[in-house]
Amino acid sequence: MTLDLPIQRGADLVRAVQGGDTLALVELLDLLEPYVGRICGAIALDAGADAAQEALMIVLRRLPTLREPVTLYAWVRTIAVREALRHAGGTGRALAVDPTGLDAVPKPGDPELATDVRDVLHRLRPEHRAVLVLRDLHGMDEATAAGYLEVPPGTVKSRLHRARAAFRKAWTS
Amino acid sequence: MNPHWPSTSLDPVQRLHTVAAGVPGAAVTERVVAAEFDSVWSTLTDFPGGFTQVQPDMRRVQVLSRDGDRVRLLASSRRGMRALLVGIERPGWCWLQSRFLIIAMAATPHSSGGTRVALTGGVRVPGRARIVPIGVRHEARRSLDALAQLLDNPSS
Repeated sequence: MTLDLPIQRGADLVRAVQGGDTLALVELLDLLEPYVGRICGAIALDAGADAAQEALMIVLRRLPTLREPVTLYAWVRTIAVREALRHAGGTGRALAVDPTGLDAVPKPGDPELATDVRDVLHRLRPEHRAVLVLRDLHGMDEATAAGYLEVPPGTVKSRLHRARAAFRKAWTS
Repeated sequence: MNPHWPSTSLDPVQRLHTVAAGVPGAAVTERVVAAEFDSVWSTLTDFPGGFTQVQPDMRRVQVLSRDGDRVRLLASSRRGMRALLVGIERPGWCWLQSRFLIIAMAATPHSSGGTRVALTGGVRVPGRARIVPIGVRHEARRSLDALAQLLDNPSS
């Protein structure tokens, strides 16, 4: 499942802001707030609102430095994931995960993932939530997710397996 | 998009702080006023009335047009300057700009009663997303004093 993003609209608004239009700044916030809210809400959970506000403030403050407006969403995502992990730091607790039985863990599109997942996400470590968000919500491949999280692709793969297994364990506990 | 993933959103006051971060020189001044949100917001966005009493240096404001949340105002200052303000006005949120001015207001019900009000704006560096950072906080505090007085005594 990937997000259908208004790339061109975002780029047009960035150019308008860089040209001095402050109403475009408001419209850009309208566009980015739900996007950042979903990233920060899912990774930082209870600290999600603070993380989202901090991420959006950084984005709007640094907008004049964005040279390629069409890269807006990727740039925003990097900042949002980093702020979400920073605000979530230490709030997650890991479950002991049985590495066997990974075939049974939920995958994108699995009906179990379409239910309220907040309680289950609460039981995962922030870095596991981040992997789930990037891989399953944003549909990224391992290499791209690894770039965002600044870890090797193999780490993303193992974290995703652990996250899904933990998800399944929490779900069925 | 899976609607069940946790998400989060900003209230209007948090939005004002956020947008102001993108406008160098913009200082947000905030206060809790002892009045209900509806009363506060209708006073702040009564452009020909309460707005001119709260915002500094406003003598007369005329609403030229409204289209959805878009609004165009013609403002005259006490010193005879005129400004065409264009902007966005929604419940709890108003952002206006002219070539030389930025005026922004936000309000949200406060958890322990009253209404949280935040203001920013000032003289704009012409055509740029930047405010001349002189007297901004002082003007905002005066505006909040005027708002509190107006809410206490609406006929003044």
